[in-house]
Amino acid sequence: MTTSISLRGVGRKFGAAWALSDVSLELSPGVIGLLGPNGAGKTTLLRLLATALPPSQGELSMLGFDPTVPAERTEVRRRLGYLPQEIGFPHGFTAFAFVDYIAVLKEWTQPDLRHAEVRRVLDLIGLAGSSAKRLRAMSGGQRRRVALAQALLGSPAVLILDEPTAGVDPEQRAVLRTVLAELARTSTVVLSTHQTEDVAALCDRVVVLDSGRVRYDGQVTELVGRAAGRVWLADAPDPAASASWRTGTGRYRNVAEHARTGVEHVEPSLEDAYLLLRGSREPDWGHAEELRS
Amino acid sequence: MTGWHADETTLRRWIDQSDSLPEGASVEQHLLSCAPCRARVSTLVSAGPATSPVDLAAVWAQTRDAIELPRPSPLEWLLQRAGLPAHDAHLVAAASAFRGRWLAGIAAVLAFAGATAALGHSRGMWVFVAVAPLIPCVAVAISYDPRIDPALQPEVVTPYPVLRLVLLRSVAILAIALPAVALAGLLVPGWAPSIWLLPALGFVAVVLALSTWMSPLRSAIGVSLAWLAIVWFLVAQAGSPDAVLQARFQAGYVVLAMASIAIFFVRARHLRELRPRRNWS
Repeated sequence: MTTSISLRGVGRKFGAAWALSDVSLELSPGVIGLLGPNGAGKTTLLRLLATALPPSQGELSMLGFDPTVPAERTEVRRRLGYLPQEIGFPHGFTAFAFVDYIAVLKEWTQPDLRHAEVRRVLDLIGLAGSSAKRLRAMSGGQRRRVALAQALLGSPAVLILDEPTAGVDPEQRAVLRTVLAELARTSTVVLSTHQTEDVAALCDRVVVLDSGRVRYDGQVTELVGRAAGRVWLADAPDPAASASWRTGTGRYRNVAEHARTGVEHVEPSLEDAYLLLRGSREPDWGHAEELRS
Repeated sequence: MTGWHADETTLRRWIDQSDSLPEGASVEQHLLSCAPCRARVSTLVSAGPATSPVDLAAVWAQTRDAIELPRPSPLEWLLQRAGLPAHDAHLVAAASAFRGRWLAGIAAVLAFAGATAALGHSRGMWVFVAVAPLIPCVAVAISYDPRIDPALQPEVVTPYPVLRLVLLRSVAILAIALPAVALAGLLVPGWAPSIWLLPALGFVAVVLALSTWMSPLRSAIGVSLAWLAIVWFLVAQAGSPDAVLQARFQAGYVVLAMASIAIFFVRARHLRELRPRRNWS
């Protein structure tokens, strides 16, 4: 499959601290999940990919363009949709007016075509009936969907999403998953989230960042597979477990680095595998190239 | 979308336009958010006799246009009449600085300063000298500061040239603010209204140049504080700030404006806050 984004030894420094260090990734069309704890460098990586921030070191290529060259950066931005973690909305704007405004900034100059495209993206995310509503009268989840709508304008070749489902209700999350899965047939969608179920439902590939470095890059199923035999239910929390919590049935779900025998094992989830990885002392759990070979 | 759907009779009445105004409005509101009922309307129209000469698709598009499309502001209309392309006029007029409360605030400050100068003798004159030349630069800063206009925050990465947007908004603001300052200057006895224009233009240019290092609003605050310090110093030393309006100072404003504009264009790619904090090159 064609590589649309390539990072080689990319790092980003703020002052003396490296927020991102020596990141090498080759991303192709599909949905790529980005997981990691707070401060792992996820947002920094997304801002680099969105051309909102330049790398301090390394090489970054997007859709064959070098975003450090102004003219080529503009070409990237023409093919890019970006949902930042936090987005400000101008006062007094309706959902339609806001997306329309961003559409103008994205060079949709023909009013008829622009308005049709704004309607398309608002319809796509289930806001057709609220398009004339003022943003300040909307709920947080609705505003998040409006912010996502602007990122979907023009069905971009690269879509960078930072916490797209934050504050969105389960029904609408399902709608968004359908939309993103459809777009990912031809586009590269990079999705950062704390919702492991979104990654499990949408992504073939997951990248786990920790302290600015890639700790895992590979198939979601392989990451989940690593947790097999290491997740079990018990009547009490296991002191040796990396994580242990009381479930709705009253029993405790234990996740441990070392496989256990003689216990009631359960099917691991991506969240179990992620917790296992976080608790592991092993610095690198694998890289896409290594996993393929 | 709701669980309720309009029945066929109601939809037929709406298609035939034989329903009452409230019922028609209610059905229209429902159709806006109900795809299944819209589909039933299409089916009824295509299946039934041509009871209505109305092109439903066109009516539907017009209805959505009437509800959804933001109405162009008077400024947007004026900008288009002045020859600006519609999309550029849309971006310029969307600036917070053109919203009523900002314009009203600026007009009130200017009116207060003018009235003080007209009625307050020499001390009133000081107020006008201190305030009037700063109005345009503050308004320009407001027009593109991302804190006030969140849609211009650096996170919004679009291909539209930021420099073009900043210049368009600045020119539009100046087209309003400079005549307003000159008009208020008519209230000041003993000075030609045009005397205020050069310092005002000079400060706008300085704000543009400084905003390649710091945020536009901080630039305007810095310029304002520096100007107020000069006026205060002159009043303390000479008893009047009139010197800042003399020919020697006027020439200085021209030099300041030209130098600042040159700096702005040389450093335009560093436009702070509208670009990444750490620049690309």
